[in-house]
Amino acid sequence: MAKQPGKDNFTRNLVIAVVVGVLLIMLVPTLLSRQTDSSASIPANVSADRGYGVVFNGELTGVPVVDIYEDFQCPVCAQFTQLNGPYIESLIAEKKATVVYHTLSFLGPESVNAANAAACSADEGKFLDYHRLLMMNQKQENSGAWDNTFLASLGQTAGITSQKFSSCVNKGEYVGWVSNVAAAGAKANVNSTPTVFVNGKEIDRNASEYFDAAKFKAAVERG
Amino acid sequence: MKKIQPWLGLAARLILGGTLIAAGYLKFDELDKSQMAVRAYEMLPIPLANFLGIFVPFFELAIGILLVIGAAVRISGALSALLMIGFMIAISQAWARGLSIDCGCFGGGGQVPEGEANYLTPLLRDTGLALLGIYLTLFPHTKFGLDKSPAPATQLGESNNG
Repeated sequence: MAKQPGKDNFTRNLVIAVVVGVLLIMLVPTLLSRQTDSSASIPANVSADRGYGVVFNGELTGVPVVDIYEDFQCPVCAQFTQLNGPYIESLIAEKKATVVYHTLSFLGPESVNAANAAACSADEGKFLDYHRLLMMNQKQENSGAWDNTFLASLGQTAGITSQKFSSCVNKGEYVGWVSNVAAAGAKANVNSTPTVFVNGKEIDRNASEYFDAAKFKAAVERG
Repeated sequence: MKKIQPWLGLAARLILGGTLIAAGYLKFDELDKSQMAVRAYEMLPIPLANFLGIFVPFFELAIGILLVIGAAVRISGALSALLMIGFMIAISQAWARGLSIDCGCFGGGGQVPEGEANYLTPLLRDTGLALLGIYLTLFPHTKFGLDKSPAPATQLGESNNG
């Protein structure tokens, strides 16, 4: 049998081995990086037991638990915050509910930046203000607008003056935590943002419980 | 027919392989979304869906590359046909149950507002691609591939096609 150049089994097998090998070598660390890293530093008020969310009024009992999953770059989340944000903040202020914010980052690198900066603001006790400012200043997705300089300066708008905050933002101190939040969100079967659970049960998207302020309020109070 | 067949095979390889590479590559950058897309089909246990959300893009890239360069065509063709049939089952059950989700075929995915889901296009596309995969499984001898030509007789008759 005549051997043709480039058609011997060796080349073919080598090519197959390289393609499959390289992708396997990339797959394994990718899978591992999605495991929860319990050694990642976590910001203030975060509870690993509550999906690494930022918790308000965690100590209360007998009140509804509201879990909010959102991505700072998601336009619908900004609309949701605009509509229901004041009510949610009043629940926190009046101690009428436990509220847990889960800052997902599936829309890309600038979502990770923003979630990291929000975690830094939690350390300063300014998470709610900073969260509101981020949602109100939302830019085009991954357009480069949400770099660390902007995110640090937004902190000043929220009244954060400490040097620690800007260095926390610049260092990406809580990037590991951001990935833990994402892993927990995946485990909780969150398939869209915003997603709201009241006492562990998702409120009804098709019955406008997200985008009708009165219905949202009813859904929370129903518990 | 005998002369056209390897050329048909080449076309099938490039279309199927190219589509798989595009689909894999577009999911590659946003694996969180890819996991979300698989979960949204509500077909598999969450941990398995999350695993597949990461595994499938790598798998698509691997068999896509092998198809385009024409190595292990029979196996890659069969695997892509199986993958497409899997996708078709997932899409059909989502459609039948009235889920409102994005196909997530080329990145994206997750829940979408009521009435915005489109199941027919991906279903037709996957049917076509599955047929190409089946064709390559049956007739894996194609032009410009790394796989060996079938029998010595044809190899002598057809001169160098590498």
